[in-house]
Parts: sequence; structure tokens; C-alpha cells
Amino acid sequence: MINLKDVRDAARDMLAKGEVRAVIGYRRGSRGMFAEPAFLDRPEEADELVWDPTCFHNLSLYLVHDRKHLAHAGKKSGAPVAIVAKGCDARSIVVLLQEHYFGRDDVYIIGVSCEGTGVVDERKLARHLNGAQASNAAFDGDDFVFTTAQGEKRLPAREVMADRCLECRNPFPKEHNLVYGEDKTGRQLEAPFAALDRFEAQGAGERWENWARHFDRCIRCFACRSVCPMCYCDECVVDSITFPISTETTADEKANRIRWIERSAARSENITYLMTRAMHLAGRCTDCGECDRACPVNVPIRLLNTKMEKEARDQFGFEPGASIGGPSLVASFLDKDPGEFIR
Amino acid sequence: MSEQQPYEPKIVAFLCKWCSSAGSDLAGVSRIQYPANATPITVPCTGAVSPMYILSAFNKGADGVLVSGCHIGDCHYLEGNYLARRKMYLIMKLLDFIGVEHDRFRMSWVSAAEGAKFAQVVTDFVNDLQPLGPQDKLKRAESK
Repeated sequence: MINLKDVRDAARDMLAKGEVRAVIGYRRGSRGMFAEPAFLDRPEEADELVWDPTCFHNLSLYLVHDRKHLAHAGKKSGAPVAIVAKGCDARSIVVLLQEHYFGRDDVYIIGVSCEGTGVVDERKLARHLNGAQASNAAFDGDDFVFTTAQGEKRLPAREVMADRCLECRNPFPKEHNLVYGEDKTGRQLEAPFAALDRFEAQGAGERWENWARHFDRCIRCFACRSVCPMCYCDECVVDSITFPISTETTADEKANRIRWIERSAARSENITYLMTRAMHLAGRCTDCGECDRACPVNVPIRLLNTKMEKEARDQFGFEPGASIGGPSLVASFLDKDPGEFIR
Repeated sequence: MSEQQPYEPKIVAFLCKWCSSAGSDLAGVSRIQYPANATPITVPCTGAVSPMYILSAFNKGADGVLVSGCHIGDCHYLEGNYLARRKMYLIMKLLDFIGVEHDRFRMSWVSAAEGAKFAQVVTDFVNDLQPLGPQDKLKRAESK
């Protein structure tokens, strides 16, 4: 069990000593029991920090935001930023470090182990709460305990946990400066890629029918891109409005700029967008599941990403976010890579 | 009953300029007869073929996409085709995953000396694509 007081004390101490510029963590949100991202820069704010099963955000996104703000303002980074990171979040940070998005000294990782459980899936939880409003959530061994107006409700974690957490192979943040909670790696409740395997068991025709429905629904709000710490490009290849323009850019240039896909939310364009995104995340996605959670129309984006993760693992022995000095998936190769598909 | 004309698939072929492109030339100057369905696009190396090219080709109406480059070990840039092998494997699996017919994407190694092989690769591809008919899964709806 993680003692929240330890985390708060550590954060307070670091802020008081000025060792970090800020602490990125979770605080109780304004939406019922759900936690929300918190940016603390004064020691007295440290008591706002929480750690419970609703801390689902991948906060490493805000490290990316921070770098962008600094670059925009032309400032040097100075002291590091501390961040509360779960296993998956810590792996995202490793990928960012691998890609030299920032240096190891620019970030202070306060690791929190999910200890063999994980975070809740709001949609699954809603089914169990039957409309009751919960005001608090807490870890308790293999259960989650929710406080509702009708009293305490104890639910087995596996019934309300996010799919990705059920399948999580590394709930412990291996890369850290400080870490709380036990390392209970290997206690996954479902086989890795279980959700993917269930989907893949269908024939190609059924898969297409499913995906066609999903792709039709996509409204191209780009929430998945916005919430993803790996989608940090200033210019996004699939979105022509992100291409830079200056006073020298002529109307002709703007009109004739390459448009890989149209901006309309048509099925064909949605497919191309989501597939491109999956390719760009291959070997980088650490399965934090934020794209899935953020999607307003329930497109199972995670399936595309886990498909790539599974192929990378099975065929190339590649684990995303395994080590800072490791190779990147598509910029490296092995002699024994599969080649039988090539004529 | 009159015999129906077989569907003529449109193939976009990304050919490495150091080998497969020359291989297709050789097929031509050797007067090898093979279907004219493939539109060649010469690229500097298969390693330069972004998965986006393939998606984009399908998006713009290709019925099949062929990527062809140098045999392993023969890359002009030493390792471009090794990198291509990985990327193309991933995009192939992803296309298959969403339910695009397996035969719509193909990769081959064709050297500059293998004109006959190039003709064979295209012939086989056309034969496999014909029964599948037009590709409409990723194709953009035409604007009026």
C-alpha cells in the first residue's frame, strides 16, 4: 500500500528546497471522485496530491507541454519538473527521453506502483454504481472501495479496471528517482493482449465490418492526438492546418501544399488518419490507454496501437519504453526479421 | 452468355531506383509481355517508402500497392531495405487487421537483372487482384 503522506511529504520537501520547479500530480477534481491533473509550485499545495484508482491520466503529456511553453518563451529549463508516474506513464517518459525530447536531468520521476491492480474504467464503473454518485475511491488489496451516499461499495478491481490495466505487464515504474509501492510485476489479471486476441479471433470480413462502423463514427476531433504524450509534433502530417505559414507563404503555396488526407470526417479519411497514427506510434506507444479514454465516440483506438505493440513484441522482440538507450522500433532492424512475406 | 471482362486493377508500384526500377526497364527492353496495370513510382530506396505512401495510394483509389526493392544485402544505402522490411511488415499487418484483403499489398525483391521476375511479380499480382475487384475500403469518395 502506498502511504499518500509519503508522497505529499516528498513533494512538499522538494518544492520547499527549490529542487524542482513544479510537481505534476493528481488532485481531487471537480467532477465527483475523479482525480484531475494538478500542477503544484508552492510547498503548501502538496497536501492536495491524491493517489487513488481514478488517477488515470498520463501526466507525461504535461512534460511535453512544459517543453513547448519553455521553447515558445525562449526560456532555459533550470530546475527539473517532478512528475507522479505510474508504470505506463514512466514508460512514456522513457520513450520521450529516448527521443531526446528532454534530458534525464529535466525530469524527476516520482514513481507510483499500481501494485497489481490499476485504474478504473469510467464506463465499466458506471455499470456497477447503478447511477449512484461516488465521492471517493481507494485501493484496498485486490479491491477498489468506493464511497457513495448509500455507504461504502467494495468492488473487485478486475471488474472495473481498464482493459489495459488488466493486461498490464509492467505496473511498476522501472525508471524513477523515487518510488512508492511494491513491485508486483507479473500479477496481470488477463493475458497480455487479451482484448486484441478476442478481436482478432474474428474473420477479416467481420473485422472490416466492425472497423467500418468505428471509422464511420470518428468525428476527427483529434482528442486522441491531443491527449497523447507521443503526438508532440508541431506539424502533423495528417492535418494541413498545422503546417506553418509565414508572411512569405503565398496563397498559391498554401493551396498546393501536400494534403495527405482531407479534413472532412469521411470514413476513408478517418481510416487513413487513425492508421497513420497507429504507424507513428508503433514502438512508441506504451499503452497508457488515454486515446481510448478521451475518444468521445468510443472508437477502440487502443486496439490499433496494441496490434502494433504485439507485432513488435512477437516479431522483433521489441518492448516500447524498456530502456532510455535502447533502439527505436522502425529505425533499427535485425537479420532475423520476418521476410517470408516478400516475394 | 457472353464472357465478362475481368476487372483491370490499378496498381501503384513503388520501385527502388537502383534495382526494381531498372528491373522493370529490363522487362521492357527484353520485350517481355506482362500486364500494364502497374503505375511505377520510382523512389530512391524502399527504406524511403513511408507507410503513409501506401495508405495514401489506397486512399486515392489504388486497388493494389506493390513495393519492390533490392535483395537483402544489396541495398545501395546498405540497410534501407532492412528498415523497409520492418515498416512494410507492420503496415501489412495493420491493413490485414482492419480487414483489408491480404492480397492488396505486396512486397518483392527484384534486382536490376531480374526483368523476368518483375514481369512475373506484376502478373501474379494482377491475377490475385482481379477476383477481388475494386478497392473501396480506403478509397476516398469522389467529389462531384
